[in-house]
Formats: sequence, structure tokens, C-alpha cells
Amino acid sequence: MRFRVARRALAGIRTLFHRDQVEQDLDEELRAYLDAAIERHMQAGLSREAATRAARIELGSTTAIAQRVREAGWESALESIWQDLRLATRGLRRSPGFALVAILTLALGIGANSAIFSVVNGLLLRALPVAAPEQLAMVSTRQSIDEGFPAGWNYSVWKQIHERPDVFGRSLSWTVFPQRFDLAQSGETDPVEGLFVSGNFFDELGLSMTIGRPFNAREDVLGSSDSQVAIISHGLWQRRFGGAADVVGRRITVERVPVEIVGVAPPEFFGAEVGRAFDIALPVGAAPIVRNEKEWGTPAGRSFLAIMVRLQPGQSMTSTTAALRSAQRRIIEGTLRANEIWGPFHENQVKDPFTLTPAATGTSELRRQYTRPLITILVIAAVVLLIACANVANLLLARAAARDRELSVRRALGATRWRLAQQMLLESLVLSLVGAAAGLLLAFWGSRTLVAQLSNWFDRVTLDVSLDWRVLIFTSFVAILTAILFGTAPALRASMANASAALTESLSHRGAGRSSHHFRGSLVMIQVALSVILLVAAGLFIRTFQRVAAVPLGFSSEHVLVVDVNATRAPVDPAALPDFYTRVTATVTSVAGVTHAAASLNTPVNHAATLVGDFNVLGRPPVPERERRLIANFVTDDWFATYGISIRQGRGFTAADTATAPPVIVVNEAFVRKFFPGQDPIGQVIAEIAYTPEWKTTPRTIVGVVNDSIDQSLRATAYPTVYQRLSQWSAVMPLMPVPAQISLSVRAGTGSPAQLSRGITTALTTIDRHLAFSFHPLADRVSAARQQERLVAVLSGFFGVLALSLAAVGLYGITSYAVARRRAEIGIRMALGAQRRDVVQLALSHTLSWSAAGVMLGVIVAAGVTRYLAALLFGVSPLDAVTFVSALLLLAIVAALATLVPARRAATVDPMLVLRSE
Amino acid sequence: MAPADKTSALVQGTLDMLILRTLALEPMHGYGIGMRLEQISHGAFQVNAGSLFPAFRRLERDGLIKAEWSATENNRRAKYYVLTAAGRRRLAEATREWEAQTAAITRIMRATLGEA
Repeated sequence: MRFRVARRALAGIRTLFHRDQVEQDLDEELRAYLDAAIERHMQAGLSREAATRAARIELGSTTAIAQRVREAGWESALESIWQDLRLATRGLRRSPGFALVAILTLALGIGANSAIFSVVNGLLLRALPVAAPEQLAMVSTRQSIDEGFPAGWNYSVWKQIHERPDVFGRSLSWTVFPQRFDLAQSGETDPVEGLFVSGNFFDELGLSMTIGRPFNAREDVLGSSDSQVAIISHGLWQRRFGGAADVVGRRITVERVPVEIVGVAPPEFFGAEVGRAFDIALPVGAAPIVRNEKEWGTPAGRSFLAIMVRLQPGQSMTSTTAALRSAQRRIIEGTLRANEIWGPFHENQVKDPFTLTPAATGTSELRRQYTRPLITILVIAAVVLLIACANVANLLLARAAARDRELSVRRALGATRWRLAQQMLLESLVLSLVGAAAGLLLAFWGSRTLVAQLSNWFDRVTLDVSLDWRVLIFTSFVAILTAILFGTAPALRASMANASAALTESLSHRGAGRSSHHFRGSLVMIQVALSVILLVAAGLFIRTFQRVAAVPLGFSSEHVLVVDVNATRAPVDPAALPDFYTRVTATVTSVAGVTHAAASLNTPVNHAATLVGDFNVLGRPPVPERERRLIANFVTDDWFATYGISIRQGRGFTAADTATAPPVIVVNEAFVRKFFPGQDPIGQVIAEIAYTPEWKTTPRTIVGVVNDSIDQSLRATAYPTVYQRLSQWSAVMPLMPVPAQISLSVRAGTGSPAQLSRGITTALTTIDRHLAFSFHPLADRVSAARQQERLVAVLSGFFGVLALSLAAVGLYGITSYAVARRRAEIGIRMALGAQRRDVVQLALSHTLSWSAAGVMLGVIVAAGVTRYLAALLFGVSPLDAVTFVSALLLLAIVAALATLVPARRAATVDPMLVLRSE
Repeated sequence: MAPADKTSALVQGTLDMLILRTLALEPMHGYGIGMRLEQISHGAFQVNAGSLFPAFRRLERDGLIKAEWSATENNRRAKYYVLTAAGRRRLAEATREWEAQTAAITRIMRATLGEA
């Protein structure tokens, strides 16, 4: 069998190269056949002429025989394809208008799909640019996976896992949450993004530095001065140091701490988290120094590390998971602080089992947030492509009508039906591939624009959306599929060409078969239906964005400037920090233009972890665990006035609420609705829940109620919130030190709050030059919180308009074609006295009925399909009447315009001209 | 248009086998093969050039027959086909298959109610 294929292949190649010789041989052989036939007939008694005639009849058409012999070899198929390709390109060059429209349509459709797929590729599919990414796995817990949050571990857990590579595999770690590092030497911060990484991070990932060296084990010792080293990214090296070769050994300050640069990372490496890029990496050992917090390294310190293991060949994920789980209790026990007692918190940690997840594509917060919207947009883009295909198919069919004669002649000359179809299909393929190439250019630009839209003040999104093999394969696949979709109908039509039609004169009524007319009409119907669906989807997303933008914030965002202050380096005793903050706030209030200022732990939509508390109301039965989650914030007195939050009942905080006075709290209306429905909460006492006997809980008295306001998410309904006075921190949070970072919220009397930054800078640096701070207008943060909805609304609106334009072009085309075809009929009717109106109606009737059918079909399908978008919608039902009606109206208007223009032209037909040309 | 085949249901593979059989007796040129097939089948098969020539090309490509230019009886140049060793083997194989198939079909056609 294998010999046969090889032999045939060789013979085919030989024929391709010696074509003339082979043809000559065949001719000679046929001639000999003819001669032999003549001989035989003459022997049977016929004259030479009669014998010749009989022999020729017997032989038949030598051309046809030669063709059949040629087709016996595979190389003829190749030749025919090549011929048809050249024919196709020549044909397209001769009708540049048609080619341009078709290619543009396809470029838009295919390009849009490729653009979004590039982003999907970069976000979901691409593996990390490290050595053997398929060996990597993240150490997580089942709960983290279920809730979709990254698992963080404290230093003690990391050490225990790292020190047993024989059991758990080789491991590396880095900070779970994005770190901001201030590179400024004083005053306003110069923030860059970065990570703390374990000493073996770069080595374990198999990365070689561009220049310099990776960290070594000595530099990863917690708190040692050796750990004051850094590796910068390739990008930072170019941007800030101009790619200088002597950057290794240079000293910079990170969070005001001197640090030496020891290496530059390779250019394609952006970190272990997709969607973020790091500018600077420091060893975990430097964390206590840089953040000035001793807690970082202790066993009970923060859970700030993500841990990744590299499975060795022969080591399976299940066996490593089992090893982790069997050691889980011991590991958690190892995290107990001195004198700390095992409590329900630790029990929970043991019960939530270690789980390994494959991490070849890294981890990604961006992925969690944007996977669903991106896939939705990809589906929308695919639908737009379908509409584009229908358009091009209609265009090709209209053009085919003019080529019927050519095809009939070819058929008469002996071309098989398949050959004719092949020619059409190849034309479609050429159109599609050229369109795809142009589309790739669009995709290049479009994908980068899309990624730029994902960034905001908080997240600088970095995503590699460059063209790789996956995008190319996707685009080629889409191009071929598209060619098949829109090319099949014209190919079928071409193969039905009638040989005898070539010999008759009147081709003017050809192609008017009922079935082809129905087919083109149904294409229009599908286009209109798809456009309706897309318009409805766009409408729903636009209304969702409107709803999200209209969510009452509960505070005024326009006049507020948030100043994130970092007092880590300030020489202030941690116990005295609350008073320090109060002084800072007072100083800032006196800056010109400032009407109110306040300090707080958290500010709205600041993308920080929200402080929560577990409370019970004294004198009441305990509330079930899930019910008693609250948001807690610590603020200074002017906070409510700064944000324009009104006090509904009771009072706010005053100077009388000192550190030694009885602790008081202010609650919001949601809190009252939840815990004191219909009652007066003023004077009620609540207390935090104690998990251990040593845990002192201080009862706090409710003194005031304020209106609800947004915390982080614009979509969540108001959460029960308690506000406490900053100065009373130590009374109510004895176990946690006052944080060295605080946010100042500043209200501007007139004008933009951003203008206050200079005055505030001066004030802050005067108080203490070790303060680091950054400015964020609250309006920007609120806007960023709406970003995802805005992006989806803009994209779906763009595609909706695109679909509508394509459908309009399609309707225009088919109406023009129908008018052109029936010119004779129209002319006769007008000559017989028909009015303009009747003629227009005649031209429109079929198109409009197909469009109406399309609209109905579209509405029914849209009603069935929109429920899958429910997760992305907000405040809008998937069957929202306003959206459906608006979409219908818009489509109706556009369809009317698109069909009316050519139809009115029909009425300008001169009956005399038509009759004369018939 | 290609002339219609007058042969009734003569499948490609069967035609190949018949050509091989014809050439097993002696080397022949194209017209002669067609003539011989018609003769031996008593006129049942009249294979025309449109089927023969593609078959020749196929068999030649598969190495079952070999072509030689030679002189006919009338001193004309014609292409003579010769069976190769591989062709002989293929013919024997095809003959065996054919006979087995025919026997099976005959059995089925002649089966009465009593035979299982």
C-alpha cells in the first residue's frame, strides 16, 4: 500500500515536469488507436471514408479522453486548482468595486473575531514564558477555588512546604496581592508595581537574567540586611535607566529604604500573574524592612504569599496533594504563635483541604473578572461574522447572474459540475484569505486598544496579545469556514449551469428561478434576524451600564480627593498614630480651598480588602454566623461631612469620644434594617464575638444612624456598616496595631478637587517629610468601578452598529438587484399607466416581507437567548421591553431607508428606454 | 461530452482485472485489448476508449503493466502494454477474490427455504 502511494506521487511529479512529452505520447497513442480502428473497419469491408467515420465515432472526443486520462492522476487536480486560482484573482481584479466591498466586509468580520481571540489567547490560553510550565501547580484550598479567590499563605506555611522538596516538590512563592513600591526619595510617591519573591523564584522558573544575576539563598533571610537587593524588569530598565549597562550595582530607594539592583529580568517575563507586569522584585526577606512591619515574617503574620510547586517528572499531582493534605494539620499547628491557642479559625484552616491546581497559564485576577464578558463579546463578534458572510454570499450570487454564459460555455466544453463548483469555491477562498490578512492588521490594532481599555487607576493591565500560532490557526480556520459558508451557495448555483443555455440568446430572464430567489430572500431574513439579536444584546448592555452609572452612591464623589498616606517611615510611636492622624487631618483642613477633611482606614471603591467584623447585639439571641457579617471602618469626626453623608438619627462623632471614653459607633440604615427593624437603635449595645477566652471584647454603644453608601461594588446592595472613631482604636482593637497607612478624604469647596494637591503636598511635607502619599480623585475611582460594564456596553454597541450597517448594505443590495432584474416589468407597467407609488411598492414588496419575517425570527430567538446574559446584566431584565422595542424601531427605520432609496430609483425608470432595449 | 459507456455496470476494479487477464496471454496495444475483450465476451462488453485509456494510466502508475513502443502489424508505431511480475501477482489475487465472491453470490441466489 505504501509503495502505491509513493509510486503515484512520483509519477505525478514526473508528469508535472514533463507535461509536453506526456501529452505528445498520449496523442500518438490515440492516433494509433484510431488507425487500428480504421484498419479493422476496412477489413470488414467498408471504404476508407466510411471506415474513418465509423472509427471516429467509435473513438469519440479525443479531447474528452485526454482529459479523463489526465484526471486519472492526482497532479491534474493540483493543476486545475492552480488554474482556477489565477482565474479567480484575475476575475476579482476586473471588478475592483465588488472585490473591495467583499474584502472590507470580511476584513471587519474576521478582524473583529481575531482581535478578541488575541485577547482571549493572551488571557486564558497562553502559557507562562518560563521553563516547563506544564509542571507547575498552585497550592490552593478548596474554598478559595470555589469562591474564585487566590489562596494566600503566611511565611510559616511557606517555609514548611519549601523545606521538604522530597515530599512536596520544589516550590517557589511570591506575594499574592500586587505590591506598590514607592521609588521616590521624598514627598509625593513615585509608585511602581512589584513583587516580593522567594530567593529561588527566578532560578526555579528557569529564567536567565538579561544582565546581572538572580537572588541567592542568603538574600532571602527574613529581615537581614543582605535582603536589600532588587531585580528590575526589562521594561523599567529601558524606561528609567535607558538600558544602561551599569545599572547592576546601582542603589535606589524602595519605600525610602536603600536597595541595590543586582539584575535585570528577561524581556518577555512579566511575573506569574497574567494581566499584571512587575517593575521591580525584592526578596521576601526584605518585606519586614521595606514595609516596616515585624509581623511579616512571624508565623501568624499575614497570609501574603502565593505558593507554586514544580512537579518533578514521575511526581503526580494527586500524590503531592495527598502528601500536602496528610501534613496539613501539622503545618497549621506550626503556624501558632507563642501563647496562641488553637481556635475555630485554625480548625477551619485544617478543614479546608489543600488543593493543587495546574498553573501552566499562571494565575490571574483579570481572568476571573473578564472571562465571561470576553467570551460573550467573542460570540457577538462571531454573529457579526455570520451577517458578513450572508452579505458576501448575496453579493456573489448577484454577480454570478452575470457569469451564467461563461459557465454554460465551460460546461458545454466538457467541464464537470464539480470543476465549476471548485472554481467558485476557490474564488470564495481567495476573497476570504485576503479579507483575513487585512483582518489580521485590524486585529493587531484592535486587540491592543481593547487591552488599553482594561486598565484603570488601580490596575495597569499588561497583556501579551501578540500574534502567535494559536491566533494564526484560529484566523485561518475562521477564514476557511467563512469561505465555505458564503461560497457554498454560489458554488452550487454554478454547478447547476446548463450547457444548452450557452446556445440560446435570451439570458435576460435567467437566474430568476423561484428557488434562488427564495434562497437570497432567506439570507436577508437571517441577516435581519441576527441584527435584531445583536441590537437587543447591545441595548441590554447599554442599559446595564446606565443602571450601574445611576446607582446612588450615598455620597458625593465629585468634590472629594482621596490622599493615600503612608506613614511607615515617620518617626511616630505606633500607639500615638491615631493622634498623629488627627493632627494631620486638622492641618490639611486648613489648606486653602478645603472645606472638610477626614482620615479613615478605608475609602469607597478603593480596591482594598474591606475590614469585616463579627458582632452580636447584647441582650439578644446570637445571630447565625452568615448573617452577622458587617463592614467596619474607622474614621475621624468630619468624615460624614466630607462625603456628604447625612446623619439620619442621633449624632456623629465628637471630641468627647476620646480614647478613654466609652466606645461609640455609628451605623448605617442597612444595619438598622437588619438588626433593629422598626426599632430605635440609638443606645443599643453591640459587642464583637470572642473566639478565645483571652480575647477581650468591648461593648460599643450606637449613637447615630447615617444613610447607606457604596463600599466596593456598585452592584451590591448596601451592606450593614459600622463606623468607629479612629481615636478609639486601641479600646476596641487591642490585638491589632494601628496601621501605618491611612487615607485622607478631602472635600473641595469649589472647582476640581485635583487642584488641591499642591497645597496638600506642602502641608504634608511640612508636618513630616517622611510621609509618602498619592492623590486619587474619588470620581476617577468611581468611574473605574463602572469600567467593566462600560467596556461591554461600548463593544456590544460597536458590534450592534456594525451588524446594522451590514444588514442595511445587504438590504440595499438585494433591493437594487431585484429592481434591476425587473426593469422590463417595471417599464411595461409604467407604460401601461402604473403610478410611481405602485411601482415602488412592487419593488419593495418581497424585500419587506423577508425583512419582516427576519424581524419576527430575531425577536423570538433573542427572547430565548438573552437569559444566558443574565449574569452580566444589572437592573435590567433579559426580556426588557424598552430594549426590544427600541431595537425593533431602529432596525425598522434603517431597513426602510435602505430599501426605499433603490426602490425610488425604480420609479425613475424610463419606460421607453426599457421597451426599446428588450 | 464523454460518450456513454455501453458496458453494463462494469466497475473500475473489474475492468482493471479484465485488462490484466487479457495481457496475461500476450502483450497488446490499446485497440487490441478492447477488441479482445469484445471478442471473448461475445459482444457483451464493448469497452470504449474513454474507459480504457484512464485504466491504462492507472495500471501503469501502479506498476502492474509496463508500456513499450513497438510496431504494429501494419508497421505503425503503437504503445504496447506488458504485464509485470507485480501485475501477475495482482491478477492471481483478483481472480481468487472474484471466484470466491461469485461462489458466495451463487449460493445465496440458489438457496431454497430448506437451506440455512
